[in-house]
Amino acid sequence: MIENELKLLWQSTNKKLEDSITINRDNAEDITRLKVQNFLSSMKPIKIFTLIVGILWVSIVGVILVNLFVNAYEKVSLFFLYSAAIQVILSAISVTIYIYQLVLTYTIDYNEPIMVIQEKLSKLKRSTLTVTRILFLQLPVWTTFYWNETMFQNGSVFLWVIQGIITLLLTYCSLWLFLNIKYENRNKRWFQFIFSGREWQPILHSMELLNQIKNYE
Amino acid sequence: MTTDMELNHRFHQIIEQHKGVLFKVARIYCSNEEDRKDLMQEIMIQVWRSLHKYNDNFAITTWLYRVSLNVAISFYRQNANRKNSNIPLIEEFATLKDEAGNEKQEQLNHLELFISELNELDKALMLLYLEDKSHAEISEIMGLTVSNIGTKIGRIKEKLRNRFSQLNSY
Repeated sequence: MIENELKLLWQSTNKKLEDSITINRDNAEDITRLKVQNFLSSMKPIKIFTLIVGILWVSIVGVILVNLFVNAYEKVSLFFLYSAAIQVILSAISVTIYIYQLVLTYTIDYNEPIMVIQEKLSKLKRSTLTVTRILFLQLPVWTTFYWNETMFQNGSVFLWVIQGIITLLLTYCSLWLFLNIKYENRNKRWFQFIFSGREWQPILHSMELLNQIKNYE
Repeated sequence: MTTDMELNHRFHQIIEQHKGVLFKVARIYCSNEEDRKDLMQEIMIQVWRSLHKYNDNFAITTWLYRVSLNVAISFYRQNANRKNSNIPLIEEFATLKDEAGNEKQEQLNHLELFISELNELDKALMLLYLEDKSHAEISEIMGLTVSNIGTKIGRIKEKLRNRFSQLNSY
């Protein structure tokens, strides 16, 4: 089909279809009653809930830990103290990225050119994967926070072998996941297993779009 | 300074005069009727929310294509938020009558099918090309250089040409 024919075909049918569209005035009127988008009201409840839980967890556990570091450093198990500190620091980094991402997502200006906006949105969405990668780094500390001196003095060799295997395995897994969760691995079976839920689809789609943008440059 | 009333009046005017832009964008990005209605609704909401930022240096259609295409490409991400906006959809909204002839309609269906196979950015470019927009205007809407646009359009046309010739060879 010749290209002019393509255009003519598209334009002629569109003209007829356009003429038949009726924009309901009441519907348009309803839209004008919408106030300028409020950041919090535009967020999904699950996101608000996640954010509140994250902030509460980091704040409460953070305050307790600082208190323990300052006032009871000699009295508490250092394994607990440092494991918990690592966990809270990683959580705080994740919550901060999450808030930054949400604020930028909801304040994006659609007046800008398509490549600019889509690149911004896609990069923001992709940062969700960064949060996930950081959260995976916490895995090993969940196997060390309960260690204490009594365990070292009275624990059997068998117990330490099992404990050692679990901790080393989770350390390896968390580092491996941190380094390998990236767009290039999206077709790998393990990647698809981790990110198989519906909630991950927009993020994977964003990564694909970023790739398209890259090819356009 | 623009008053609320003026803004309101301008919004109705833009939607009425340029409803075709909204429809064409929805048509290119959504294959089913319900999704088209939802997308047109979403574009209208975003047009209203962005109207106070409209810069007179740009033609209204350039601005409208920017907003509409940005919303369409991001639609999959915004779908859930839209459902919370509580604006009832009216059945008659964007109801279309197909008046094209059979042969023409068949060709058009093929064209739509082939366009639906393109990625999001190629779809935007193809729509602007089919709408006979100049490379300079496409450049303003897309944020690409004029020379890049010529190359990209050439490649997309080649893809479509191949698809049509595959069809004719059967």
